[in-house]
Order: sequence, then C-alpha cells, then structure tokens
Amino acid sequence: MKPIKRREFIKLGLASGSLLALGSSSDLVTKVTGKRETHKKLIILGLDGMDPHLLQIWMKEGKLPHFKRLWNQGSFLPLRSSIPAQSPVAWSNFITGTDPGGHAIFDFIHRDPERYFPVFSASETSEATKTISFGNLVLPLSGGDVKNLLKGKAFWQILEDYDIPATIFKMPSNYPPVPTKQRTLSGMGTPDILGTYGTCNYYTSEFTEIKEDIGGANIHEVYVMDNQVESKLPGPVNSFKKDRPDSYINFKVFIDPVNPVAKIVIQDQEFILQEGEWSNWKKVRFNMIPTRSVNGICNFFLKQVRPEFKLYVSPVNIDPANACLPISTPKNYSEELVEKFGSFYTKGLPADFKALDHGILDDGEFLDQDDIVLRERIKMFDYELERFDSGILFYYLSSTDQRQHMFWRFIDKKCPSYDAKLAPKYGNAIENIYIEADKLLAKAMEKADKDTILIVMSDHGFTSFRRQFNLNTWLKESGYHSLINKWKQGENIVFTNTNWSKTKAYALGLNSLYINQKDREAEGIVKPGAEKETLVREIAQKLENFKDPDTGERPVLRAYVTKDVFHGPYINKAPEIIVGYNSGYRGSWGTPLGRIPKKIVEDNTEKWSGDHCVSPEVTPGIFLSNQSAKIKSPALYDVTATIFKVFRINQPEGIRGKPIF
Amino acid sequence: MWLFNSIFGRLFEFIFFPFINMSPWIGMIFISFLTALLMLFIFRFTSNQQGIRQVKKKIIAHLLELRLFKDSLSITLKAQGNILRYNLKYIGYSAKPMLVLIIPIFLILVQLNLWFGYQDLAPGQKAILKVKMEEGHDLFDINIAIEPSSALNIETSPLRIEEEREINWRFLVKEKGVHDITFIINGQRFTKKIAAAQNPLSKISQSRVQRNFIDELFNPGEAPLPGDIPLKTIEVTYPPQRMNLLGWHIHWLIVYFALSIIFGFSFKGIFKVEI
Repeated sequence: MKPIKRREFIKLGLASGSLLALGSSSDLVTKVTGKRETHKKLIILGLDGMDPHLLQIWMKEGKLPHFKRLWNQGSFLPLRSSIPAQSPVAWSNFITGTDPGGHAIFDFIHRDPERYFPVFSASETSEATKTISFGNLVLPLSGGDVKNLLKGKAFWQILEDYDIPATIFKMPSNYPPVPTKQRTLSGMGTPDILGTYGTCNYYTSEFTEIKEDIGGANIHEVYVMDNQVESKLPGPVNSFKKDRPDSYINFKVFIDPVNPVAKIVIQDQEFILQEGEWSNWKKVRFNMIPTRSVNGICNFFLKQVRPEFKLYVSPVNIDPANACLPISTPKNYSEELVEKFGSFYTKGLPADFKALDHGILDDGEFLDQDDIVLRERIKMFDYELERFDSGILFYYLSSTDQRQHMFWRFIDKKCPSYDAKLAPKYGNAIENIYIEADKLLAKAMEKADKDTILIVMSDHGFTSFRRQFNLNTWLKESGYHSLINKWKQGENIVFTNTNWSKTKAYALGLNSLYINQKDREAEGIVKPGAEKETLVREIAQKLENFKDPDTGERPVLRAYVTKDVFHGPYINKAPEIIVGYNSGYRGSWGTPLGRIPKKIVEDNTEKWSGDHCVSPEVTPGIFLSNQSAKIKSPALYDVTATIFKVFRINQPEGIRGKPIF
Repeated sequence: MWLFNSIFGRLFEFIFFPFINMSPWIGMIFISFLTALLMLFIFRFTSNQQGIRQVKKKIIAHLLELRLFKDSLSITLKAQGNILRYNLKYIGYSAKPMLVLIIPIFLILVQLNLWFGYQDLAPGQKAILKVKMEEGHDLFDINIAIEPSSALNIETSPLRIEEEREINWRFLVKEKGVHDITFIINGQRFTKKIAAAQNPLSKISQSRVQRNFIDELFNPGEAPLPGDIPLKTIEVTYPPQRMNLLGWHIHWLIVYFALSIIFGFSFKGIFKVEI
C-alpha cells in the first residue's frame, strides 16, 4: 500500500465539498406553514458536555441559582450516555430515540473496510457524476451530493407528521439537516468551506510548526517588507479545473511603522485592527470560473504586529447568508438569522481548539473567540425564545463542551498539562460557562408558563484526560496486529506498515475496534462465526484486564461487545468492540488515524485535557426538568420518548426509550 | 466649480425631499422618470426627427424586401446592404442628441451616486477615515490631530501608509445624524461630514477633495478643501449600497438606466418623439 501523508488524507477524505458546493442546486424557499397550536409546549436546552458532578458542586455553592430552582421544582438526575459517550453518537441516540444499532453512528470516525481507511461517520459528500470537459475546464452536468449518514427518523420529522412545530437549533449530527419543513440549523458535523472540521490560517514571520496528529491549521510564513505583508487565503479545491488547483484569495496587510495597528485589504473590503483585536465576520468569495464562486465568512485576529508579525484567520465558515452547502431548513432560515443578527459561526465546533492546541491562540484569545460564539448564540436564543409559542424549541450550546475540553487542565492538578501559573487566571473558565448557562436557563424559566415543560440535558459529562492509550500498539503487543517492518513502528499512519495477512484486529476512530474479518475487510483473515466470536470475547477480556505499567490502573473500564449492547438493524455495521476507557484515560491522538507508536500508554500533554470518549458509566450527562421524573436512571433515548408523550403521540416502532415522566 | 455643484446639489435635494423617508426605490423611479422626460425632450429638439422617421421606414421596407425575395440572391444581398447603410445613417442621426445628452447625464449620475451609491453608517458601526496627503510632505512630520466628538469615537492610533500617502483611522459611530469631524493639521482646521442613520434615502458624500476641477466634478457633495494645503482628500469608507429587488442586490446604475429606458419608450408616443 502506498503511504499516505496526513495532508493528502484530509484532502482526499474531506475537501471534495468544493464541487458539491458549486454544483448544489438552490432549492425553492420552503415556508413553515400549517402548524397547529399545541396545548403543551416543550423547551429543551441541550448543553453539550454539562457534567452532573460539577453542576452539583456549583449548585451547592449557590453559583447556579436557576439550576437549583429547577431541580427543586422537578427533578435532577444523571442521564445515561451512549456507548461510546461521544457527542455524535449520543445526540444521535437522542435524535432517533435508539442506540447506535438503530442510527448507525458508532464513532466520530468509521472505516472503509476495503481500504482500512478512516472516513467521517456523520456525512458523506460526492462529486457530480456527469461532467463535460473543455480543455482544462470541467463543467458538471449534475449537482454533487452531501448525505447525512444518520439512519432512522429524527423526532422533529415525526412531530412534523403530526403537524407539531419544532425549532431545532444547532443539533449535532444534523448535517446536512434531515429533510423537513421544521425550522432547523445544522450543528456539530457542519464543515468549514474546505470540507474539514475546521482549518484556520496563521500568517507569521516567526518560524512555527504544526503538530501532525492535531492538524487543523495552515501555517503561512510571511515577510514584512516596507511595512506591508502580502499573502493568500486558501479556499476549496477548484474542481472546475482538470488539475484541481486550490483556490485562494490574495490579500494585503499595511502596518504602521510605529503604532501597533494594521489595515487588511481583501477583495473589496478594508478594515483596521489594533493589535489584539478581532475583526468580526468578513465575507470572502473564492472565484472558480467566471460564473461560479464559493462564498464564505472568516474572522481575522491581529495577534501581534512586531517584533514578529502574527495574524490568525479563523476557518472559513459557510456563509449563512449565501450557503454553498445545506445548513438549514427551510433554506432561508439561516438567511433570516443573518438579516437579524449578521453573520455567525456555522462550523460544527466553532471555537478553534486546534489553534489553542498549536499555540496559535493562547488561552485568553481562545476564550475571547468562544465569547464571540456565545454572544452570537445568546442573541439567537433570545430571538427564538421570544417567538416560541407552540410545539418544541430545542436550543444547543457548544461552549460548555469546548471549554471543558480545553480548560480541564486548570482544575485537575494531576493533569500533565496543568499549569500552576495560569491556573489562577483560567481556573474558573469552566465555572463561568456554567454560570452563563444558568443565565440562559433563567430566561427559559421566565418564558415557561404552566403549560410549558422545561428540560435541560447534556449528552455526556466530563473527566480528566491524563493518559492516552495506543489501542493499536496494545493489539500489536498482544499479538493481534502484525507489522511489515517492525523497525518502522510509529512512523506511519493509516496502517501503511501493517501486515494484514497476519493481523486479526485493528482500531480506527476514538473507541472502535474492528476484527479483520474474512470477506468483509479487503485482506480479512478471521472467519465469521465461532472463530470471530471467540476472538472478540478474548480481546475484550484482555483489554479489561490490562494495567497501565506506569500507574497500575486499568485504562479500559469496559470493553463493550457491540452485538451484546446495541439493538436495531445496523448492528452488522458496528465495530466489534467499543472500548470504554476508564476515568483519566482515552484513546490516543494517533488511534483515530491508525497510528502504532512504540508505547502502549503515554501522557497526554496537550491542552485538550478534559474528555468524555470513555465508558458512559464514567461520564453520565444531566437531566433536569420542572417535572418530577418517574424513572431513576434515564438514558438519552428516554428523553425522546418523553417528547412523544408530551405531545400525546404513540411511540413509533423501534424507539427504545421510555417516558421519564 | 463649487458654486455650480452647490446649486445642482440643492436642485437634487429639492427633487428628493418628498422621498427621503420612503424606500430608495420611490426616489429612483421618480428620478428615472424625470430623466426619461429630459432625454425625450433633448432628443426631440436636437435630432432630425423627420430623417429618423424616414430611415426607420426604409429599414422596415428593406426587411420586408428580404422576406419577399428570399429566393433571389441578388435582391437579398442588395437589401442587406441597404439595411446596413440606413442603420449607419440612423446612428448618424442619433449621434448629435447622444452627444448633447452626455453632459447632463454625467452630471446627474455624479449627483445620483451621492444618493444611491453608499449606505450611511448606523450607530455602533465602524468605518475608516482616510486622509490623503500631497506629494512631498512627510507623513511622519505632519502634526495632525482629530478633535474629540461626542458622536464619533476614534478607536485606533493613526495608521500611516507611505505607499498610498495616507493616514487611516478606524472610528465608531455613536449617534445618529450628520456629524462634522474636525482635523487640525499644522494648526489649520478642516472638517468632513459623516452621515449616520439619517433617512432611508440620504445624501452621502464619501470624499472631500482639494480644489481641483476634475476632483470637484467627481466629488460634488462637499465644499472643496483649500488648494494650498498638504491635504489632498478626506475620505470615509461607507459601505456600498445595492438596490434590493426580491432578494437580488442590484447596482443603482443598472436600475437607473433600465427604468429610464423603460420610461423613455413608454412616453415617446405621448410626446411624439421618434427614437
């Protein structure tokens, strides 16, 4: 197999969105009509990653008075998360009322068994199938396609069948939005304009490297000449040309020779930034051919003017006013929000955690960016809350999750990336976002009348990510995975050094372990049936028994055999084992890309220090409501069943949950 | 030049006065209608109406000849030659009124750009203030200050761009209205008007220029700066305005010409003008 570099992998797997973007037809504007008024109304606040332990601590300290009040009015329970406790999987459980066997999202990353290659689990893009060429020009005769891979019916689609209105704001795993006339805006999983989950651009005169395993940044080395900087903003691949060049926009920066201030001139816009300032959204247009272009929005941050020039440009988001890929239903919903509030983050995980991990943004700058996201979201929440009068309003907040991922290191002294100097300054970043969530809840409580049921939920909680577990290395050391050149161990990604004829199992994704099954994988050797069954049980047991040689702890709390724990028609698509890590552990940074480093367990020294891709027992989510719960240990799909009960709809077939009240 | 600009500008203020609180489309329709009348009037009295009438008839006759004798190559070729000849003659008859029209239309377009070319700024909005200096003056030697104002807030330190001979500042609009921003340059005071959230249809002057015929012709919105100072222009970067037609954002010039032509053709019969 030919070695594939990480950049090529990203380009191959993700950047095909450009042709799709250009080929996508513009649907007629769909109007939300014919909605009946419901007697009961339901407001659900989806606070990604809100942790029950932290919530309880700060409620007791009196810092979250509205959460406390809601608890006193009704109920507060830990909410059982999905297996694994990953956001796309967990929110899919909630969306469909099933488990991964019913919705076919098993991990952030799935694999192509033909190529042993990672692919995104949530959506799939395909280019135009029919094209016509003139010289170097390639003109599509049909549009490309972007497909949401979530199976099953979303609860708002079922509500639509009963004419019950729904506004679903930024629901994860809803990209592209499932077909509906309800008002929906896509959430986590929505790519940037390059088709990636977020690639920022950093222009600097200082030598800077990016870390391969994290990726997500383009570093541009620039020179300051005559107080000017000239560079390019990269855009999507131009699939209108046979040689498929990357598109780009030239821009110029003028710097004052003395003052820390600069003017950026890009296309027909010019704006001045003082050092340390953000620009707000700027629209950019990548011209492909004279009649076709791709529109995006990005935010500039002038980090430093001198001695070294440093300019950060956020990932180019899909322009919600002129979306080149589907991000809302009806199509004009995102345009309506732009009319009201201006441009806003459309990318799935908005705050640029990769820029923080690379040291492009520091902690304070990342928090500033997250504050921009939060302010945008609060304005839209107020707007939706104000006009909500019937059916269901689901509102999602990502900042709770992103801040816990990046700032856990300031509340856990055992974290390898704990920084005692910065802890006093940023130690309250997580607490602050819980307080912001409390303020949102206050508004929702004020809006809720006697006929309004209010639910606050999270998809999972959080725990420390101190040690990273190299699952493929463990498989290799345990004799289940074989290498072609042992001396090359750790150098390759996507199994380019794997001897498949002697490999029984491999890991791709954050928690997924696959058997190299005959007649399924390209070079499978394990026969389905008894041989595979025995092997799966054996690996699961050994994983649970393994102890970290440095700490003596068990990195894997539970190895879930998927056919035992999943239900529904898509079990055969699932990995054989979902690895449920213990508190403090997680799959390594290299595992999702099929890396096989030399050590089985290593310290996690990244700023990404809090996590939840562990056993769901370790990180339950939260469930709060102004109603009393009748079941003690609800799961995510039970919330879905509760929605149907509130609106007196017979529970559709295949839904696993039971109403909570 | 300023006297002319001032009088002509007042005329447009008078024309648009009834429409300032209405959608810009109303003002645009009205001015396009007036322009159409003006064009018809000029066309009628500066062109050879009889000649145009005759030439058009000849062209129609030869077109009919083409259809009737399509089987005869010699007649067809002759008819095509005649059509071409009379078309050139028609262009010749139109040239004189067109030449006469150029001057008033140009002056109208310059004025209309003040009304339809830019959006005014809203409180909370930021824009760039640019001062362009004359050649031969060092940007770093000039003692330049901006008087504080309650309506505007200068947010950045001056940004000097030697290549462009410019000093730029970013400012924030705090209040509605038409505000004066005052510069003190080497002891002399100069002002520039800044328009903030006036009416749906408002006059916006992007640049105040130094006394100079061409520059004043293109920038008639404000009295010129004296000719003997180091300051060449003072400019505010207003966002460009587009006319919104069912979600299509169209440049005002396209709308203006399209409407003027439609009105012109609609009313040519009433005014008995042969175009």
